Amino acid sequence: MSGLYELMSSLLPFAWAEPMFMKRALIAVLLVAPACAAMGVMVVNFRMAFFSDAISHSAFTGVALGVLFGIDPLYTLIGFGVLVGLAIVSVRQRSTLSVDTVIGVFFSFAVALGIVIISARKSLTRDLQTYLYGDVLSVTGHEIIGMLILLIVCAAFLALFFNDLFLIGINERLAKAHGINVRFLEYAYALLLSLVVTVSIRVIGLLLVTAMLVVPAAAGRNLARSVRSMFWASIIIGLVSAVSGLISSFYFDSATGATIILCAAALFLMSQVWAAVRGQ
Amino acid sequence: MTAPGKSGGRPLAAITVTDLHVDLGGVAILEGVNVEVRHGEITALIGPNGAGKTTLLLAILGIVPYRGQIKFNGGQAQPRIGYVPQTLDFDRGMPATVMDFLCMGHQRRPLWISQAKGQKQRARDTLALTMADHLEKRRLGNLSGGELQRVLLARALMEGPDIILLDEPASAVDRSGEELFMKLIKKLNQEKKIAILMVSHDLTMVTRLARQVICLNRVVLSEGKTADVVNEKTLSACFGADKGILLHDHGWDGEVSCAYDEAGHEHASAKDGDAK
Repeated sequence: MSGLYELMSSLLPFAWAEPMFMKRALIAVLLVAPACAAMGVMVVNFRMAFFSDAISHSAFTGVALGVLFGIDPLYTLIGFGVLVGLAIVSVRQRSTLSVDTVIGVFFSFAVALGIVIISARKSLTRDLQTYLYGDVLSVTGHEIIGMLILLIVCAAFLALFFNDLFLIGINERLAKAHGINVRFLEYAYALLLSLVVTVSIRVIGLLLVTAMLVVPAAAGRNLARSVRSMFWASIIIGLVSAVSGLISSFYFDSATGATIILCAAALFLMSQVWAAVRGQ
Repeated sequence: MTAPGKSGGRPLAAITVTDLHVDLGGVAILEGVNVEVRHGEITALIGPNGAGKTTLLLAILGIVPYRGQIKFNGGQAQPRIGYVPQTLDFDRGMPATVMDFLCMGHQRRPLWISQAKGQKQRARDTLALTMADHLEKRRLGNLSGGELQRVLLARALMEGPDIILLDEPASAVDRSGEELFMKLIKKLNQEKKIAILMVSHDLTMVTRLARQVICLNRVVLSEGKTADVVNEKTLSACFGADKGILLHDHGWDGEVSCAYDEAGHEHASAKDGDAK
């Protein structure tokens, strides 16, 4: 990776890009932002923000379990998040309860369990801080490789199943009548979304990670006239927010994740004005 | 498309349902249903709410589990089935265009790369068939009920179907949209000889379009030619004697026009001679 860092030094001769932690942070946000925005297109169109919130808040328990059992909290956070995501889909498919109710139950369970563990072990509070607000400046080379793999998996999954997922979102029966394996795709999408959410917590923080999925996609939707334009507009807005937020946080000495979301929110407001002017 | 054959003067069966049972959540929705839909014919499925009409369509589509047998084309060939759902319950603000919608599920290339040229042409051709070619670039969420039905019909036709299943095609359509939709269905049936099974509450539509009618309420109550089934006696048995069924004979080649409303109010009846 040292060659990449040298290349960045020559391409980005700016004060903010000099420290090694900023170079790593820049690579991290450039990998996480498009994955979040691309998955966010489905989250926004099919009203899944609450699902994403449930996964991110399960991080309370994921981190607590990791520290409790002496495992790297990053792994338990991802593992527990995926488990919660798959459990929500499984119960929803077998129950007559509304999807909001099912998510609400798992959301409450995951947060409550985490709080119980943390309150019993006060020393855990310090470990949790990193995950509450995110800490992209301390991201490691290994984590960056993990983020790169996740972005490639996301791109491959959306290349294969994007159209089918969209049809399921519009009408499940129509998709089934078309021979699409709805059950498999629901599980696969929940698994991948859980991975994207939990991996992104390291960058954005569990409190705001859903915004990284929702805000760029919502802004992209305001600007778009077709599925294709929404997809690309969301990714561009996600990337612009991530880079401008990272640079701003360097100069304002603010939390990077929150600054990225503020930049995304500013772009969303502009898109909202654009949509209003266009008469949408 | 399978060319419809004939047997004893009547076309061959496109769908043969034998002793079909469907239970959902421990409740029997369909019990011992036997029906036949023939090539080149429009068959209407009527019955009160909760009678299992949509469930029968879903069983034919293989979407709900069932006991019994459903055979297509006498068990000789797998059919291509086009399906038009009653409604699309989706976020109407999403920026999917009609062309996006028609390409979904028909092309492997993801829509975020582009719409495939061949699929676009196929979609345009079917939109023209359903008089919806001007809607190509419109947002799906901005379509009226009638426009959406014609787009859904175009989507069903993209499958190159032997059979089309229509679930309450006129339920969200205004009067003029319904007229146009009926003309399209009749034209498709006459020109392409597609077998059509249509769930409908609208007995005007049923009498004007269907050659055969199946009256269903968990079991098949009556099945036969439209004029034989759509009469006060059968409909009262099917919907209940207190449901305000009004029938009038307009004398159009012996076809019956009727009005039915579960609340007992008169429904619009056929006004022109399109049924001839």
